Amino acid sequence: MKDTSTPTGGTAQQGVPAGSRFSRRHLPWLAGFVALLLLPWATPNAYHHYILNIILINVILAVGLNIVKGFAGQVTVGHIALAAVGAYASAVFAAKFGLPFWVALPAATLFTGMIGALVGIPSFRLEGAYLALATLGLAESVRVFIGVTDYIGAAIGFSDIPPPYFFGRSVVDHVAYYYIVMPLALVGIYFSFCILRSDIGRSFKALREDPLAAAACGVNVRKYKLLAFTISALYAGCAGSLQAHMAPGFLHPNSYTITEMVTLLLMVVLGGLGHIWGGVVGAVIVTIIYDLTRDYYQYQMAIFGTVIVLTVLYMPRGIGGLIDNYFATRRFVAIRKAKANAA
Amino acid sequence: MLLEVKALSKRFGGLVAVNNVDLVIREGEVRGIIGPNGSGKSTLFNLISGVYQAEPGGQIVFAGEDIAALQPHEIARRGVARTFQLLRIFTQMTVLENLLIGYHPHIVYSSAVAAIGAAKVWAEERRLRDEMMELLGYVGLTEYAEMPAGELSIGQRRLLALGRAMAMRPKLLMLDEPAAGLSPVNVDKLLTTVLELKKRFGLTVIVIEHILKVVMESCETVTVLEHGEKIAEGAPAAIKNDHRVIEAYLGKEMDDAEVRAFLKAS
Amino acid sequence: MRILSVGKCLLFASAMVLALSVVPGSASAQGTVRIGVTLRMLIENGFKYGQMTADELNEVNKSGGINGQKIEVILLDDECKPDKGVANANRFIHQNKVHLIIGSTCSSVTLPLVDIVTKEEVPEIVPHSTNSSITQKGSAWVFRTSVSERYYAAVHAKYLAENAGKKVAYLFTNDGAAISFVRDYKKYMQETYNVEPAYEAQMQETDLDFRAHLLKIKSLNPDVLAIGGQIDAIARIAQQSYEIGIPAKVRRVSASAASNAPVPELAGDAVKGLIFAAAFSCTDEREIAKKFVKMVQEKYKVRCPDHDFSQAYETAQIVKLALSKAKLKLTDASLAEDRKAIRDALASIQNYQGLASGPINFCADPTPQCRDGNRTGILVEYTKGGKDYEMRVLARVGFDPDFGLPKK
Ligand SMILES: Nc1ncnc2c1ncn2[C@@H]1O[C@H](COP(=O)(O)OP(=O)(O)OP(=O)(O)O)[C@@H](O)[C@H]1O
Ligand SMILES: [Mg+2]
Repeated sequence: MKDTSTPTGGTAQQGVPAGSRFSRRHLPWLAGFVALLLLPWATPNAYHHYILNIILINVILAVGLNIVKGFAGQVTVGHIALAAVGAYASAVFAAKFGLPFWVALPAATLFTGMIGALVGIPSFRLEGAYLALATLGLAESVRVFIGVTDYIGAAIGFSDIPPPYFFGRSVVDHVAYYYIVMPLALVGIYFSFCILRSDIGRSFKALREDPLAAAACGVNVRKYKLLAFTISALYAGCAGSLQAHMAPGFLHPNSYTITEMVTLLLMVVLGGLGHIWGGVVGAVIVTIIYDLTRDYYQYQMAIFGTVIVLTVLYMPRGIGGLIDNYFATRRFVAIRKAKANAA
Repeated sequence: MLLEVKALSKRFGGLVAVNNVDLVIREGEVRGIIGPNGSGKSTLFNLISGVYQAEPGGQIVFAGEDIAALQPHEIARRGVARTFQLLRIFTQMTVLENLLIGYHPHIVYSSAVAAIGAAKVWAEERRLRDEMMELLGYVGLTEYAEMPAGELSIGQRRLLALGRAMAMRPKLLMLDEPAAGLSPVNVDKLLTTVLELKKRFGLTVIVIEHILKVVMESCETVTVLEHGEKIAEGAPAAIKNDHRVIEAYLGKEMDDAEVRAFLKAS
Repeated sequence: MRILSVGKCLLFASAMVLALSVVPGSASAQGTVRIGVTLRMLIENGFKYGQMTADELNEVNKSGGINGQKIEVILLDDECKPDKGVANANRFIHQNKVHLIIGSTCSSVTLPLVDIVTKEEVPEIVPHSTNSSITQKGSAWVFRTSVSERYYAAVHAKYLAENAGKKVAYLFTNDGAAISFVRDYKKYMQETYNVEPAYEAQMQETDLDFRAHLLKIKSLNPDVLAIGGQIDAIARIAQQSYEIGIPAKVRRVSASAASNAPVPELAGDAVKGLIFAAAFSCTDEREIAKKFVKMVQEKYKVRCPDHDFSQAYETAQIVKLALSKAKLKLTDASLAEDRKAIRDALASIQNYQGLASGPINFCADPTPQCRDGNRTGILVEYTKGGKDYEMRVLARVGFDPDFGLPKK
């Protein structure tokens, strides 16, 4: 037990002037943005631009899933269906109601957020595998609904979704589209950082670990569960909308099956469930690995299955966890050393 | 009166865990609750903090408001903090984060403001960390601030649980066996800490404890439960000599001499 | 409070670049014709369709290529998922810089591919998809060797209306091909005879029990039971229709997926009398067909190759024929020019006599009349179920190029 009579201040930054705090917080984002702006020039051809877009859309999806699954600990299998909701909503807004992409995207995002709140309601009573089953049921019913609804193309697919228009010019080129997807993804990551590093993120982690103890600390467990589902649905909706309007503007329920959901889960698990970088790292790595193994499609499922099993066995906290461990160990060693020196 | 409990009962199937208990806690009081294992002490806490719903007819009035029908988080937000017998600290979060969660009811910024990372959020968070580091100093865990709470020893976890409850800036602090499993030296330290905190923050404290020394030294009034019923209440000195209490606590087989010896030792 | 460091951020960005540059760059060997093949392959015989296509094309390399030009085939699976198919096409076009795309199996994959190849100006030849709208998008770059749904629908509709009756009950699943099968059949009956469906019900592709609907159908005593679905659903519905006692005199007709070998194997004797329209039957008596069947039996160990085999084979032959006609430079600079040359060579193919029951004709206009090359369907009937199933060709039906198109 430690001496209780000498309260000490914070360990971290003291006396950092307010102005430089601002730049220190925002500079990395700016630097990241500039790097990402230049990224298309560093890639050899349009296929890579296309893959970049896919990566970033997956990043948005995975970051959203990481919030509800990794941080708030709600085992949902419905995330991919929310992406479908966002995609089809956006497609309907644009192709049927004639709204421009710039309206369809936020509208579809908000709409999906509302649906996400509905999907979150079963989490009041259900946990773990039961919640997974309930969300799976919801997800499948979304897919089935799409598959039988002629208005949105049913099993034939929803085609001719208009691309975004920018000052009268259509954005069908992969590079051009990248400059729509990339800022959105970056903003999405930024928001997730802000959310997860604030009291909201802490409350998510608390209710993941022990809802009862969280409630005893004044956390409104239901409200925060709903919030987690809603936020993650906003991400899914935005990602879905981006999928819908990307050339060639075609949607089909087959792109939103349980296989896609498992791939999404793999991203988050590999990146690190509940790690702030988890969704980002996982989505980037999995999408690239997926693309690299495209030629070996016969073994692709086996490769991915093996990766999941090995990750869960040897790296339960994912790549993010490994990085954390590294830094935590270093910090701990530093503290020990400082103590030894002081003594 | 800070807390007034009337005719509180709780049944689990056929078992009556708490039976028609009345309890009145004055503001600023330190109340001890003792009783044999399974006598309903923790259940009483769970009823007050809203974890369990009391049987109809019972009443829990806290600071003039009936809180019997409220959700746990609503009760917590009204200023009732508690620790759990099995601690329930957040093992995957850092020690500091555990305290910050305790502070949750007092967070001033809204979710929307947090999402866009407004400067005031970061300013508030920084201020909070400093404040919580100070509190961490009180419970003596300063250097563990950034460590996952799961890596603490049991004794340290008890201190953390105490700190987390304190971070809620409660009016009423309910401690469920805070000294269990601590070495005698540390029991003393914990006692000093609790009493110091109480004095500093003007708390009202209810403490469940099996270590009689703690109860005898720190409480003004002691309530004794047996089989869910209140069997005695009074000053520690009086309780100590109450025959029903001694019987309930130590069993009938001991003769008086043995009981005296036991009490002396503890 | 830990602050995200600039270093971390840059590290991440550069890691992304690095990882991307690991992705194999465009390996465009000059002097080779590159052909991208995307099909649904992780199903029963799917892999063999892909393999056969690749084998048939690669074969020319043994004898020094076509006009001295070698062929390089890139074969990818799209799992019948549009997003995968689109990714494959993007890869073919931008990374592999292919001269021609062959694909795909599912119409829902081929439809978005049509948009891509049209925009990027890469010729595409469709070996399997049947959806009518594929060739109605007005693309100058798309050719089809499979028989379009607009012909299929009429093959059985015409035959059954004349030989069995006009009272039709429809039971189908929410699968793209099944839906258009039913839609087209219904339309034909309405437009030609002004007859409405006797019964109609749609189920899930994953449903196992169709008996509730079948019982109702039985009580209606129809002339024809039209079954739409993929392999499993067709087999189940056929089986359950006998279980609940719909008599054999009610003709069972099904979407073209019934031609896939697992259907008779799964359904057993219930498949007897089931009719389907197809592009090819392994019982075809023509010499060219017999030779082909023997080749598949020996090389791919499939006893009775279905029309997806024959169409994959035919597509490869037509591609080789077109390549032999096209004048290709095959340099990096001539890519667009070569793609156009291959397109024009394909458009010039006339009266190609192959495995299809009639000639295959393409022409230059971006219309379905020009691009639905195969206009002859056959009607096949199962005569025996089980592992050693048997069937026979009931009829061969050829159509005008205009048949089944929306009237102007
Ligand atoms: N959730 C529950 N379901 C059923 N029975 C319960 C539940 N919680 C407590 N009990 C029962 O209620 C009785 C009182 O339990 P409680 O935990 O309040 O005892 P206690 O006085 O705190 O004991 P200890 O000193 O061992 O902590 C016990 O018999 C226990 O089995
Ligand atoms: Mg207890």
